[in-house]
Amino acid sequence: MIELCDLEFRYDQSSFALQIEHLRLEEKEHVALIGPSGCGKTTLLNILAGVVLPDAGSVHVASASVAKLSDARRREFRIRKLGLIFQNFELLDYLNVRDNILLPLRVGRGLVVTAALRQRAETLAERLDIADKLSRHPAQLSQGERQRVAVSRALLLQPSVILADEPTGNLDPANKFVVLDLLLDYARESGATLLTVTHDRELLDRFDRIVDFNALNRWRSA
Amino acid sequence: MSGVWYLAWRYMGWHRWKASILIAAVTLVLYLPLGLQLVVEQTARDMNARADLSPLVLGARGSPLELVLNALYFSAEQPPTFGYGVVAELRDSTLVDPIPLYIRYHSQDVPIVGTTLDYFGFRGLQLAQGRQLTTLGEAVLGARAATALGVQVGDFVVSSPESVFDIAGVYPLKMPVVGILAMAYSPDDEAIFVDLKTAWIIEGIGHGHQELTRAEAASAVLKTEADRIVANASLVQYNEITADNIDSFHFHGDNSDLPLTAILPAPRSDKARVLVQGRYQAHESLQLLQPRAVIDQLLDTVFAVQRYVLVAMGLVTLATAAVVLLVFLLSWRARRPEQDTLHRLGGSKTAILSLMLAEVVIVLIVSATLAAVLVALTHWFGGPLLQAVVL
Repeated sequence: MIELCDLEFRYDQSSFALQIEHLRLEEKEHVALIGPSGCGKTTLLNILAGVVLPDAGSVHVASASVAKLSDARRREFRIRKLGLIFQNFELLDYLNVRDNILLPLRVGRGLVVTAALRQRAETLAERLDIADKLSRHPAQLSQGERQRVAVSRALLLQPSVILADEPTGNLDPANKFVVLDLLLDYARESGATLLTVTHDRELLDRFDRIVDFNALNRWRSA
Repeated sequence: MSGVWYLAWRYMGWHRWKASILIAAVTLVLYLPLGLQLVVEQTARDMNARADLSPLVLGARGSPLELVLNALYFSAEQPPTFGYGVVAELRDSTLVDPIPLYIRYHSQDVPIVGTTLDYFGFRGLQLAQGRQLTTLGEAVLGARAATALGVQVGDFVVSSPESVFDIAGVYPLKMPVVGILAMAYSPDDEAIFVDLKTAWIIEGIGHGHQELTRAEAASAVLKTEADRIVANASLVQYNEITADNIDSFHFHGDNSDLPLTAILPAPRSDKARVLVQGRYQAHESLQLLQPRAVIDQLLDTVFAVQRYVLVAMGLVTLATAAVVLLVFLLSWRARRPEQDTLHRLGGSKTAILSLMLAEVVIVLIVSATLAAVLVALTHWFGGPLLQAVVL
């Protein structure tokens, strides 16, 4: 479940602001967030993930009040509860596919790479059809394969909430449906909440609900 | 391996050329001052030990350093010569036991030391193979010289001609190797020892040739006078001393005029040493030196130069450290997107900083290990390694 109330956020030295009175995503709900470039969709995902903190208002994600958590608890929450997928994949070029999938375990405090997690990484890679590329580096992969690595990384620790920032933005038509279906399949199977930022109107009918960011952000609409 | 160490190791493996250059630079900066210090200390110790075992050196007036380096370390510098008659003078004085040296020629790059059997006892040199010099034209080799030349007992060494264009000059002499010395860890290991007369034969002062009174040498006779026969240029001169021709070898002129480069006078007592020093203190053409004093002077100069070199290396170290720091700072800035990714995935600022520091630590650890290995190798194998690295 995700719920925002009276959210306010403003970047330093910028006229841009977020003012969201209320947004609620139910458990297991699959929502598409649409809106023009630069309107603040990525900022909203960063607030939900606790990467940046709001100036005012409450943010509840997966039963946690994100803004009230300590820095360390917020990072732990991000690793254990959230699956983050970035528009540009954000894979590390010096790690192979296997290590990129296991990356959250390398940077998270108190986490270790166990045999079970290695096995899960391989299972995910197999399911996403990149099992034969586990030893390759990102530069040796196609765009679609890179995004599948990013999806595997997001799903490694079985998150209850998935925040995906234009996960199909850099993909060709065939791959964008494959990747989105993978996310939706996982969300359905695991009961996870899925919030996906997208520009692609072809994909919208696969979601339970569509939220227009322009209508959501009062500052923008004003 | 824990998370940040693993990531740092992977990053360095992926950017292996950058990492290798950094490691090489830091390794050299760490190794060179230590290696130089070690080599200088080892050299000073070896030179002093050799000088301490040679209480006195007598030679013609000229550069004291040249004389000591030639007589003790068989260096290529050639001090002025003086007559063999000085040996008889010293022996007659009963103050010292003189050991004559004539060190001028080489076989390839190995110095040929013309001396007497007393030298081996004076230096405590032991034979590892073969026997001592017994007849004219034989050679005994130091252990390293034998290895360098690739010869064993029964093989031959040939003296190098001074000038291939001088047809009337010094011809090479082929000498059988009759003995190889045990390793003494001194310059004696890198020399060829021959009898003093053999050294003079190499010089051409003594020689052997066809008997001119024999019928087969008739074509080599230029003219016959009442008491002598003058040979022409076709006279066959021997370039190897064998049992068949050894009797034909002879020296012209007075033995006391034959050249020496140095004498090692072994004093029979402290009093004798002082007396003989006094005797040669104001000699017109000869100088009697205490090698330790000359070597100390040389080492003072070496240490003074070394201090300047170390200061220069200190500045190079600072410059290298600044460059390495710059590389890491630029790398830090260039990797901002990676840091953002790690942060968004849940990495703390401490973890991200630790990742960068882990790379620095890995570079330092690998460099320090390599530098330690190089220092150990320098300790075992001495100066040639540092020379190879520096030159």
